[in-house]
Amino acid sequence: MAAPNSAERKACWDSRDLLWKCLDDNDDKAASCQKFQSEFEANCPAQWVKYFTKRRDFLKYKEKMQKEGFKPAEGPQEAS
Amino acid sequence: MLALRCILGDLRGRGRLLRTFVSSSSLSPAVRLTRRDVGPQQVRFTSQGRDSASAAKLKLRTRLLVTLLLGGGIVAVWWYVSWEKQQKLRRQRVEQLRQVALGQGTFSLLDHHGRRRTKQDFLGSWVLLYFGFTHCPDICPDELDKLSAVVASLDRDKSLPPVQPLFITVDPERDDVAALARYVQDFHPRLIGLTGTPEEVKHAGRDYRVYASAGPKDEDGDYIVDHTILIYLISPDGLFVDYYNRMKNQEQIAESVKNRINSYIKI
Repeated sequence: MAAPNSAERKACWDSRDLLWKCLDDNDDKAASCQKFQSEFEANCPAQWVKYFTKRRDFLKYKEKMQKEGFKPAEGPQEAS
Repeated sequence: MLALRCILGDLRGRGRLLRTFVSSSSLSPAVRLTRRDVGPQQVRFTSQGRDSASAAKLKLRTRLLVTLLLGGGIVAVWWYVSWEKQQKLRRQRVEQLRQVALGQGTFSLLDHHGRRRTKQDFLGSWVLLYFGFTHCPDICPDELDKLSAVVASLDRDKSLPPVQPLFITVDPERDDVAALARYVQDFHPRLIGLTGTPEEVKHAGRDYRVYASAGPKDEDGDYIVDHTILIYLISPDGLFVDYYNRMKNQEQIAESVKNRINSYIKI
């Protein structure tokens, strides 16, 4: 399976951007953006779909951390 | 104690007396002359006066000159010493880089035309090196676009030597010569893609301490290779001198490369 060339990459990135915009507008409700989701999966290799999905999750998480602050996990409890 | 002080006082006193005696004896001939001859003496006196005035001016001029020379000498010495120190610091840094010894080894790979290239082929020119793979979703194309823009902007500066962009794959299983040829044409025309057997590629990566780890394969057999995302700057001696991560934009990298080239000392 050959790697996507420049045009194919651009097509994939554009459909990803459309999907992400839809998700942003619809508060991450995947159901409302089915059309964009299938478009995205058609234009991008499966591996990239997984990668970009994870990336979006990470970016959302990062945004949350930056806005709400970070609460470190509690370590092992001291034996009383 | 008292006796000592007496002796000292005596000596001092005698010294003072001696001095006054000497001065008075030097003065007396002049005084005696003034009293004896009036006419010529007066001329002598005035001429002596002018002489003493010009002598005073001369003395001032020479004093000024001497001071300036001395001051200039001190400044020159200080300047030389600080220059020496800078040279020493630079030499130390080069030594340190040498000890880190990144890129000291050789590599032997195939370029995207199928020609064998070794490290020797690139000695003598500045190289911007990036490790990546052609199936990369977004990071490698972004970084290669940035790299191409940097090289293009450096090309526009006629005073700089041409910089050679290199792309070495971390995915030799899929990135053969044909795949690289397809890939590099999207970027700078001088970009050379390099590949080889997994052994050769691993050797080249180890040379620059590049981390690369292939991820799990999916149903298509596709996988993503996790790897160090850095652009390495290599000097004409083949040694690593600087690196640029994703935070550095095109202008910052071009500026840094230009400074490195201009301040380069041959080892």
